Amino acid sequence: MKKVSEIMERREFILAGGLIGAGAVAAGAVTLGARLEKVPKDPTGEKTVRNITTLKDLKPQHNEDDHIRMQRELAGAMSKPLEKRRWIMVIDVRKCVGCLACTVGCIAENKLPPGVVYRPVIQTETGEYPNVRLSFLPRPCMHCENPSCITVCPVKATWKRPDGVVVIDYDKCIGCRYCLNACPYAARTSDFGKYYTSGEAQGAPEGKERPIYGSPAPWEGLPSNEYGKLWSRKDHGSPVGNARKCHFCLHRLEKGLLPMCVSTCIGRATYFGDSNDPDSLVVELVTKNNVQTLLPHWDNKPNCYYIV
Amino acid sequence: MSLRNNSSDTTHSASGLSSQWTKILWFVWILLLVAGLVGLVMRLTQGHNLTGYGSYVPWGLWIGVYFLGVGISGGSFILGSLGYLFDIKGFSKPSDLRCALVLSLAGLLPAFLGVWLDLGRMDRLMNIIIHPSFTSMMAFNAWMYNIFLVVAVLCWLLSFKQNSSWLKPLLALGVFFSILFPSQSGVFFEAVRTNEFWRSPLLSMLFLVSAITLGAASLLFVKSATAPHTNSRTDESDLDSALRVLRAITLVGLIVYVMFEFAEFSITMWNPGTHSPNTEFLLFGPYWPVFWILHIGIGVVVPFILLSGPSRGGWIFASLLAIIGFGAARLCVLVPGQVAGQIPGLAQAFQDPRLSYVYHITTMEYLVAFLMIAVGMTIFYIGDKLNQVIESRL
Repeated sequence: MKKVSEIMERREFILAGGLIGAGAVAAGAVTLGARLEKVPKDPTGEKTVRNITTLKDLKPQHNEDDHIRMQRELAGAMSKPLEKRRWIMVIDVRKCVGCLACTVGCIAENKLPPGVVYRPVIQTETGEYPNVRLSFLPRPCMHCENPSCITVCPVKATWKRPDGVVVIDYDKCIGCRYCLNACPYAARTSDFGKYYTSGEAQGAPEGKERPIYGSPAPWEGLPSNEYGKLWSRKDHGSPVGNARKCHFCLHRLEKGLLPMCVSTCIGRATYFGDSNDPDSLVVELVTKNNVQTLLPHWDNKPNCYYIV
Repeated sequence: MSLRNNSSDTTHSASGLSSQWTKILWFVWILLLVAGLVGLVMRLTQGHNLTGYGSYVPWGLWIGVYFLGVGISGGSFILGSLGYLFDIKGFSKPSDLRCALVLSLAGLLPAFLGVWLDLGRMDRLMNIIIHPSFTSMMAFNAWMYNIFLVVAVLCWLLSFKQNSSWLKPLLALGVFFSILFPSQSGVFFEAVRTNEFWRSPLLSMLFLVSAITLGAASLLFVKSATAPHTNSRTDESDLDSALRVLRAITLVGLIVYVMFEFAEFSITMWNPGTHSPNTEFLLFGPYWPVFWILHIGIGVVVPFILLSGPSRGGWIFASLLAIIGFGAARLCVLVPGQVAGQIPGLAQAFQDPRLSYVYHITTMEYLVAFLMIAVGMTIFYIGDKLNQVIESRL
């Protein structure tokens, strides 16, 4: 075996050192650069201000319905530039009755296919008969302050907007599912391209709005409005193959509507609003109640609070 | 798959496989290829519908085989290049180097195939190169593998040139990459900071050790199998020396890997933490056959016994078993890390086959994995043939 000095000539040694050094420096530089980079740029400023006229003339009233108040506060928040808002969700688990209206409402609103769910409700049974208690825990995306799902994305397809909402660009996502593994709340699900009606009614007579010969029913091909764009899953169009998650119904917020899970909550257990507004209902609930977040030890700093 | 028997070499037990074994390997290759092509058609026509993974266990067999291929690639490059650079007997000739380089490529390219087929959007594969985010270890790895691929191909081409001043520097760069990327494969998992089972610095070392061991075992197998034609240029003592070195590295690698594994699991055993459900799942739960039988039994104990013996045939068989065992070891990292949900009751909250913490490998996944192996064998065969053809013209 040769000595190290005999392995290469001086010129080769310098060349090898240069190549390795350049490789190491380049690797360090791109990694550091990626850490410092703010991507991508979301629209901010005056162009993001929305003039929501819903409930514009309705004055605040004593003991008014929480939904009315949240709706009015939403309009107020939307009148500010995007970067001045900070959306949070508060869930009062004491009031949740486990009706799953939020889950179903979300599925309908976002036209979610089988296997994709943004807001499951976890049911826990404690005690023994006759002293049994059922408790319910809705689990949307936490829109964390320090999200573990974003840094692992290899193609900058997911990021946190200035208003706090963690979003996914369906046109960029490659469907590697790294973010699914990184989310401790399992709030992201993959769209595997399934349809509820696929394989159903095989051999049934042809007719409008019926699945024929195993093909999905036409209504399953209707586009969803997520992120304010039309997404058709026909012909393997995105979001088929993508990671999907709750986005606080951004498309509804733009129109002055509360997220679907908030609107459909029959127990008034889900609250939504702008935490930058010190007089908002959500701020009041967080400050006046015993609130908790899920899995706080990961330091993800969730923006979904539970009143327990 | 260059496994032709050469009657002139039959006096040496290490000189390639017999014609009977050669036929068997050809048969295995055809079987794997046909089955794999069936799997490919199923994947391309049915999408992910026939896979066993889902949203709660997002990665399955293909990712395991991907990391196996990457390990073989990195390990064979490290050993082949260092042996060439340091002029170690049995590794010092350009033909020895070329054998290792071809093996390295044969490990890496099918790994790419597996990860491509695993993507939800196969049409956007190149986005990871064109629009990478280097905060992600996946993008970092993808770039590193591709640069390594270019370096390995350049080294292979330059190895045919007499006295190339670029070969050794590029080999040094390739060694740098091939030490870096197996350990970075460990970081691929460690970077998931919210997963207690994966968040262990030992994973980097486990992946590096397994890569070197895999490289040694794979080289041991192919050097033995391709001995007839290389033997025409290499004397028997060179081959004998190479096989002894590779056997020693494989033996030591197996021991070190198990030691690191023990260190990792002993923490859970004596100080149960949040990742103990994952470890219990692996060691004593539903995954115990994969760990104890495939990984430890078939992948470590049997190869260790065979490699400790004098039989060259036993060494070849041991190297194959070690490779299979490391395939199981990859699954022992991958699957347990995904099966223990952190929010109790979530899997029952919304029922769907894709929303489950149970993962069973499906037929289609196996078939595609067979394709990856068949492609690897094909690349090695073609590369080895090319080596022979070009060498004969030099």
